[in-house]
Amino acid sequence: MFFPSLRPRAVIPLRPLSRPGRLWAVVLALACLASLLLVALPAQADDADARRAESPYFFVKSDDPSVDRLPLKATEVDARIAGPIADVTVTQRYRNEGQRPIEARYVFPGSTQAAVHAMTVRVGHRVIVADIREKQRARIEFEAAKREGKTAALLEQERPNVFSMNVANILPGDEVAVELRYTELLPPTEGRYQFVFPTVVGPRYRSPANKVATTEEQANGTAAPSGSFPAVPYLPAGEASDTRFDLRVAFASPLPVSGLRSSSHQIEVEGEGSNGARVALGGDAESSRHNGNRDFILDYRLAGDGIASGLTLFPGAPGEENFFLAMVEPPRAIATTQINPRDYVFVVDISGSMHGYPLDTAKTLLRHLIGGLRPSDTFNVLLFSGSNRMLNETSVPATQANVAQALRTIAQMGGSGSTEIVPALKRVAALPKSPDVSRSVIVVTDGYVTVESEVFQLIRRNLGQTNVFAFGIGSSVNRHLIEGIARAGQGEPFIVTRPEQAAAQAERLRRMIDAPVLTQVKARFEGLDTYDVEPERLPDVLGGRPVLVFGKWRGEPRGQLVVEGQAAHGAWQAMLPVATPDAQAVALRHLWARHRIQSLSDQEALQGGDTQREAITALGLRYSLLTQYTSFIAVDRVVRNPAGGSTPVDQPSPLPQGVSNLAIGAEVPSTPEPSAWIALGVVLVLLGAAAWHRGGSSAKRLWRKPRRLVR
Amino acid sequence: MHSQPYRLRLTGTPGLAALPAGAWLALHAAALWPHVRWAAGRLLDGSDDPLGLAALALLGLVLVRMAPRLRAAPRPGWFVASAVMTAAATFSLWALPPLAAAVLAVLALSLAFAAWRPDDAPWLPFAGLALLALPLVASLQFYAGYPLRLLTAQLSTWALQLAGLEAARSGAAMTVQGQLVIVDAPCSGVQLVWLGYFCACAAAAWVGLRDAVLLRRLPVVGLLVLSGNVLRNTLLVALEARPQGLGEAAHQAIGLGVTAAVCAAVLVWTPREQEKELRHADRH
Repeated sequence: MFFPSLRPRAVIPLRPLSRPGRLWAVVLALACLASLLLVALPAQADDADARRAESPYFFVKSDDPSVDRLPLKATEVDARIAGPIADVTVTQRYRNEGQRPIEARYVFPGSTQAAVHAMTVRVGHRVIVADIREKQRARIEFEAAKREGKTAALLEQERPNVFSMNVANILPGDEVAVELRYTELLPPTEGRYQFVFPTVVGPRYRSPANKVATTEEQANGTAAPSGSFPAVPYLPAGEASDTRFDLRVAFASPLPVSGLRSSSHQIEVEGEGSNGARVALGGDAESSRHNGNRDFILDYRLAGDGIASGLTLFPGAPGEENFFLAMVEPPRAIATTQINPRDYVFVVDISGSMHGYPLDTAKTLLRHLIGGLRPSDTFNVLLFSGSNRMLNETSVPATQANVAQALRTIAQMGGSGSTEIVPALKRVAALPKSPDVSRSVIVVTDGYVTVESEVFQLIRRNLGQTNVFAFGIGSSVNRHLIEGIARAGQGEPFIVTRPEQAAAQAERLRRMIDAPVLTQVKARFEGLDTYDVEPERLPDVLGGRPVLVFGKWRGEPRGQLVVEGQAAHGAWQAMLPVATPDAQAVALRHLWARHRIQSLSDQEALQGGDTQREAITALGLRYSLLTQYTSFIAVDRVVRNPAGGSTPVDQPSPLPQGVSNLAIGAEVPSTPEPSAWIALGVVLVLLGAAAWHRGGSSAKRLWRKPRRLVR
Repeated sequence: MHSQPYRLRLTGTPGLAALPAGAWLALHAAALWPHVRWAAGRLLDGSDDPLGLAALALLGLVLVRMAPRLRAAPRPGWFVASAVMTAAATFSLWALPPLAAAVLAVLALSLAFAAWRPDDAPWLPFAGLALLALPLVASLQFYAGYPLRLLTAQLSTWALQLAGLEAARSGAAMTVQGQLVIVDAPCSGVQLVWLGYFCACAAAAWVGLRDAVLLRRLPVVGLLVLSGNVLRNTLLVALEARPQGLGEAAHQAIGLGVTAAVCAAVLVWTPREQEKELRHADRH
């Protein structure tokens, strides 16, 4: 044919698809379409936003009976208090009741001012004295000992008030006792002393925005302190720990001890009014099971109700350093008649960990704080959790109507969500302020965050013209954050564990703001050659706390210390004569080093990075102190687990008293498949029914003999 | 006895020639013992769901039922192919991940079955059940779980939007009426996929469904499973998003109900054509 056929011809001849082929083609096309849609639709979040490993989590006991999931059997605290110095021994007893070697890991709290200076480990009859090492070196030694099958213990500082203990190669049936010793100064407030022993680390919120330390940073130890926090398992709220908690306090005071009381625990007191009083935990067996879920707080007075001012000198061994500690009672506060207009900004945490009892306590506190403002004062309230909001655009006068409206709004708040404290403080820092108005920022929180360093840095850099006060609310507050905020903001820390304390603490803040006790404080020595004096610049005295000066001395112990300042009624001066050196005051060595390390850490937090790493490491190694850059390590010389391999076990903590499960995070519902066995059972029943049905039908023969159809 | 155009001569091994087909298959399975040991290990160490046991049990039942009708001599081509595949499965132990090597082993065993199976017996249900007997579920969950979750979440979101609810997908999670509900790993439907194909293979093996018919059915089984999972997920998400949430028993009951419905549909629909044809054959 001349003209080619107009019928289209395939270039590559293809046979038409069969029926199954068409079906498969449809399925493939649908799958491709679905994939394209999934890619095209933006996903706001994926699994990367799920709970991070560093976050707290609920403890789930494994069903493997061969591993002991609760190896910490007891914590025993033995405190000896001599005047304002406490010497504390903490013994943690681990026992492996399983059938496999384990490595017990436990995160526990410490006092914010604790100078941890010794660790001893007992395995059977052997006693191993721990050594202080640079942190990374200690970790390497620990890992090596663990691999070799030696029982080893590693104590690290996660925060100045949070420590982690790893005990490797605890064999079945072993009992390992780890004994820590620390020294702490208990500075009095308005003549009252307080000994606090925290028992539990509150669950810390870690902001996703917070920088995560890289592996390299973790390896070389330069990770920012806030960049890492160990994942801590918790028992659900109200569940008592199986770990026995016992505490004893013995006084050896130069003055009679009186007014012994504990707002946190039931106690039994012996010899009150004498120099050698003794305190032990009381209560019945059931209540004692819950002793370890809140701070132990013991208040006491020394005879005279004043602050025992004095200058204590410790003579070091020949060729060694000598130390001193001066404690000077400030003048009594006198309310000034002329009050300048003041502006108050209340920054209130309404996150999940504050849900329930802590938030109720905070509301009571705010009722007293805001309700006690003068009409000439102005105020504003910022509520924060995951986000934050101001009650008013700008500060409003503390009129009855404004106060009532603020209190109504606060009363409606329920705790939930995360704890984004840094954005909240940034917003406060950005608030405009009239130069003739004195502003006070009052932060109310439980402090369950991991961004302490950022908070301190932010306050120092941005709130310089403001006094920042911090109220820690709860039974086991993050005192490191609360005290650090106060230190950075030239304010004072307050701890409120119960609603009934709120009124008194609010009144204390009011007195403090109305009448600073002592300003422009200076200290100088006459006749005594001193050096390395801490702190370099003395802070204002606001809360009836003593003026504290640490340092070293050389030469002859003579002369006097002169402390001067401005009190409400004019210039003020106190003189303390140098007393005879006291060879028993060995604690001064550790207390001075601890204070110096804290100053360097504050400076490092301000500068960022690890600028003071070398200096802090040197101090830790020289004075045998646990720091963020030094750790204690104890290694048994005997290889007890030659096969190696031990199961890591994270010891759970109870949730602090009053803290709800929301502190760990609200449970997000999901839609899981039914459990495999039940689903399979249902399907097998269906199969049986189908077979039975066919057995009775025209296809009965199929049961006996499948047959092929011949077309 | 069926007449054979070609007979495999097992010369020089009269003992072997006398062995029944069932024994040959058992020997073949024994030759693949490293794979069997691996699969048993995975099953016993708790790292996978024990669903494979059901497929194994059913496979055994099908073989026992078919044993009297197995051929006296194997088909030579299939026999050689199964031997080659067995060698490949053995050598793959050094080169492939254990699961991939086990899939080759299952293929080898299926080829051996193809060599001995009666002329009127299908092959695909046997191969399918053997594959499902492997410890597959955990691996499926790992590789297919996330895409399935995304797909389920997206389809559920559309379904809820069509029903007039405020719903949005956010990764593998959904926000419904302001409430976050996660389509997490156990919600992917992987278990339902396994159960759906198990039912299809079981029904096909039981009625002797032709391979071509079963092959046509398999994509529909997939669609039934996906639809079932989306339905289950949509129902649960809608109920979970209510302020009062959903109780554990109701959760479980809905999951089981949908599973039963999907599997019943597969069981009814898979052998339908065969049933019809059988009835037709009976009538004539």
